[in-house]
Amino acid sequence: MSAELDLSGVLCPMTWVRTRLALEDLAPGERLEVRLDPGEPLESVPRSAREDGHEVSEHGAIVSILKR
Amino acid sequence: MTLTDGELERYSRQLVMAEWSGAAQRRVALARVVVIGVGALGTPAATYLVGAGVGHVVLVDSDVVELSNLHRQTVHSTDDLGKAKADSAAARLRALNPGVRVEPLRLRVDSDSAPGLFAGASLVVDCSDSFETRYAVNDACCAEGVPLVEAGVLGLGGLVLSIHPGRSACYRCAFPTPPPAGAVPSCREAGVLGPMAGIVGSHQALEALKLVAGVGEPLLDRLLQIEGRDATQTIVSVRRRPDCPACARVAAAA
Repeated sequence: MSAELDLSGVLCPMTWVRTRLALEDLAPGERLEVRLDPGEPLESVPRSAREDGHEVSEHGAIVSILKR
Repeated sequence: MTLTDGELERYSRQLVMAEWSGAAQRRVALARVVVIGVGALGTPAATYLVGAGVGHVVLVDSDVVELSNLHRQTVHSTDDLGKAKADSAAARLRALNPGVRVEPLRLRVDSDSAPGLFAGASLVVDCSDSFETRYAVNDACCAEGVPLVEAGVLGLGGLVLSIHPGRSACYRCAFPTPPPAGAVPSCREAGVLGPMAGIVGSHQALEALKLVAGVGEPLLDRLLQIEGRDATQTIVSVRRRPDCPACARVAAAA
């Protein structure tokens, strides 16, 4: 199962707040795809997700997070 | 229970913390916390609990606001002189966070009134200023199995102890008997510097949030001593007393 989150137009730190809460609703092994604006959101959300121990891959504006 | 957009933004600076979470936020939102006294310690304690989104905060105080309170009891204003502290603090805190149910109670807490106040509460924060009240609050929390954050401040010194009845040392375990009359001057006689009350009361709010949200390491069996004169903090281990009249026979709450 996977979930999607469109955070276009959302600024930091609300980007990470919403991403974290969406991740909390998933089980380990499930995937969250987040659409983010370039700049700070695309730079910081993948880093925060990795710091929390998740597996992260980036595809342009989409950050794919595999929950651990 | 889903957080609204406004709540997400209001609590965003705690929701981004690695130690916090949406689940922690929901736990505090469902909590009812009773704050005993909205004076020196109750000012920061109640303010940060309401700010953090504790769902229901009960403010218990039977005093009125006096001019000599205001240097440390900054939840009240000069315009509030003569008003009941519970009402004055409630008005200010509702303005701070309208999403929290703030319930003022003009009531003196003693061994008769305490048990009924605490039944079913998630946590009690004791911001009172007398040993008599502290023992009454401690005993009632032990009897009801309600976690408690105790504290005291005097001059440039302060103490904080969190209590999980049946699991950790209670206030009577740490201080089995009150000091002899006259050994410890009351707050009124000895005075206190405002920021010391701010520091100690803020520690109480921090402990309360940790206990309710289930994050961090609360001050269970550890008495925090704060010395403002040289800015030092010391942790003193305390232990449950097997013969404690308040908590020895209390079964550990969940």
